[in-house]
Amino acid sequence: MKKLLSTLTLAAAMVVGGSALADDYPTKSIDMIVPFSAGGGNDTFVRALQPLLEKQLGEDLVIRNIPGGGGAVGMSRAVASKADGYTLLAASNAMLTLEAMGNVPFKHTDFDFIAKVIEEPYVIAVGGDSQYANLEDLVNAATSGTTIKVGVSGVGSSAHIAAVAMANRTGAEFNIIPYPGGSEAISAAMGGHVDAVVLGGAELRSALQSGRLKALAMSYAERSDSLPDVPTFQEQGYDLTLTVWRGIAAPKGLPADVEKRWVEAIKQIVADGSYEETAGNLGTQVSPLYGDELDAFIDQSAEVMREAAGDLAK
Amino acid sequence: MISGYLDGLGMVLQVGTLLAIAGGTLLGIIMGALPGLTSAMAIALLLPVTFGMPPVMGIGMLLGALCGAGASGSIPAILLNIPGTPSSVATTFDGFPMAQKGEAGRALGLAIVASFFGGVASMVILSLLAPPIAEFALRFGAAEYFSLSIFGLVIIASVAGKSLLKGLIAGLIGFFASTIGTDPITGVGRFTFDQLSLLTGINLLPALIGLFAVSQVLKDAFEYDPHQRLEESTHRIDIARPRFLETLRHWKAVVAGILSGSIVGPIPGAGGSIASLVAYDQTRRFSKSPEKFGTGHAPGIVSVESANNALLGGALIPTLALGIPGEAATAVLLGGLMIQGITPGPLLFDDQSGTVYGIFLAYLVANVFMLLIMCLGIKLFIRVLMVPRKQLLSAILVFCFIGVYGVDGDVFNLYLMLGFGVLGYFLNRYDFGTAPVILGLILGPIAESNLRRGLQAFQGDWTPFFTRPISLTFLVIAVGLLALTLWQNYRGNRRTESNASS
Repeated sequence: MKKLLSTLTLAAAMVVGGSALADDYPTKSIDMIVPFSAGGGNDTFVRALQPLLEKQLGEDLVIRNIPGGGGAVGMSRAVASKADGYTLLAASNAMLTLEAMGNVPFKHTDFDFIAKVIEEPYVIAVGGDSQYANLEDLVNAATSGTTIKVGVSGVGSSAHIAAVAMANRTGAEFNIIPYPGGSEAISAAMGGHVDAVVLGGAELRSALQSGRLKALAMSYAERSDSLPDVPTFQEQGYDLTLTVWRGIAAPKGLPADVEKRWVEAIKQIVADGSYEETAGNLGTQVSPLYGDELDAFIDQSAEVMREAAGDLAK
Repeated sequence: MISGYLDGLGMVLQVGTLLAIAGGTLLGIIMGALPGLTSAMAIALLLPVTFGMPPVMGIGMLLGALCGAGASGSIPAILLNIPGTPSSVATTFDGFPMAQKGEAGRALGLAIVASFFGGVASMVILSLLAPPIAEFALRFGAAEYFSLSIFGLVIIASVAGKSLLKGLIAGLIGFFASTIGTDPITGVGRFTFDQLSLLTGINLLPALIGLFAVSQVLKDAFEYDPHQRLEESTHRIDIARPRFLETLRHWKAVVAGILSGSIVGPIPGAGGSIASLVAYDQTRRFSKSPEKFGTGHAPGIVSVESANNALLGGALIPTLALGIPGEAATAVLLGGLMIQGITPGPLLFDDQSGTVYGIFLAYLVANVFMLLIMCLGIKLFIRVLMVPRKQLLSAILVFCFIGVYGVDGDVFNLYLMLGFGVLGYFLNRYDFGTAPVILGLILGPIAESNLRRGLQAFQGDWTPFFTRPISLTFLVIAVGLLALTLWQNYRGNRRTESNASS
């Protein structure tokens, strides 16, 4: 019942909106823009974090799904809003992908990044009873004249770019087939309509666990606890390191004390450890990064994406 | 299995769990009944609340919202001719005419009971047959999706109303509108005019609300006669009660609804929107009195509404058995499952813990709560029609704006809604109908992207579209139905001609 009441209060808060005034941030509910529809990786990440953040910040976090344009619509809205800490963005690789493809009027430098919270690898997977037992088999087949059909989520998505990067670094030629979303690509691979899929590890998690799909390689620098049996590209001799990260960003010019408040809140949540299990259940791992380290990480990821997107345009 | 159900029963029959399911169902009913608010929003809103709950309690609450919203979409469809979701479009065909005859209470009573039967039957199918049905759904590749959408397009002929040609023209308008946005294969923008909001194409909800709700408001506003008094309000409240026996009398329509909801519903991405239309079409085709459909005929309502709730169970099949959600609502639900640590997949059904049986039973309980709440509310819903026309029209318009803006807070969608409203007004005025436009808008992208995806996968060879068994079956059925429709039209015309000459 208490839970029900809190929902109703939340609903009421969404309608009324915060209007109270006080000295310390936050004094009213905070809008969190999720530039994708409800149910995606970005959305679930923030919704799982929502109750913990609300406890830390003492104010309501209102999640606003603004899908469209592969995230472009929501991100444009975020970049155009006031940098007062009351409109934030659930950020991910999608921003860097859009920037790299040159389809949007903003850059990642138009944002202040508060924290990276979780990450997951890109994984290339084949059907559970596929003839390709490992990455080498697949690459050999692809380089010796067999057309390998590879499903990805969405044309120009970060998974699409990751698939192109994999093709380039392994020298394989892929017939990349874009599906509307990750679940469509997974069902195509399960049904044998494509030979392989390239997606984020979280999306593939249940398919891999059930054995319907088999992971051949993943894009971390080192093996991860979430997929201990899956070899990296690096250890199979291909120079490819990419991660899917999710975190929180704000329009450029965020006041320093607001950023500090948020970093403290997230650090506290990470220290409490309760989010770790949820993140694990979602197939991701908590890997927090803040401040200058974070900025360097974002710049480097943007560089990798730009390079891969250049290959895509060729 | 029996012990699994007993364990599950133990998890469901707890005061907290029952309250959570009832609360979820109530919220779902409210959100489903308001045009523009959807079950996906209801589930997303409830998601953070469920984190602290045990799995069956949390998932039960989310399933309640899914079930409630699935059933209550019929309320505005029947009372106001405004479908809240694409799947209740077909409810307007017979529900609204029946309401216009003053029998809104009867229509609601039928819809509620049919929803309940559909929901319960789909839960039984889900619990017994989920793994094989999921395997069947997996066999749908690009060729199969393409042929399914062609089959769906033939249904346009059925919902086209008086003129097949006009229906096809309206369908093609929808088809054209569906080409707007980013090209699904190459990523090139088409007809987007540098408008960010158009990058992902025309959003279905503003189009739906515009075509049905705004156009209806426009029509009513033009026809509104301030001198006409309201005393002739024929709506009788005493007939507003659940119609168990009458629904059972139309058992064929119930079965058609359950079958199409359970078979078409599980196909990810395509099933949900067309299952209820398939049910309506099949019920009418095999009826002894097809001419009564569209005039407030009970089997029309019963087939659509039983399909509507059966397809929710259908959509849960790939979600639970494969981890593949078919549309927005089950996608959010999947997030809820994973956060609870429940990994969907074939293993879930072999799980000994009883959790999965608890989930099935929770869905059953949600259907019971849906029935109870709707039965208690039915006399209340009907009073909407007692509201004077001018207040009602303005209130509807307000809800349309709130609902469409609420989807993603994009003002552009409001203009889109108004544009489609004007289009819908003229389409209705000249007997083109608005349902084919929505059908074209839904099926267009499925047909186009899968044709091209298939050609890319088959490297330019188009023969697999005709040689793959499932694909061929759909194409043959589509051609057969089209021939049947043309033949029926021809015979109908001959008969009217001979009647006229004699």
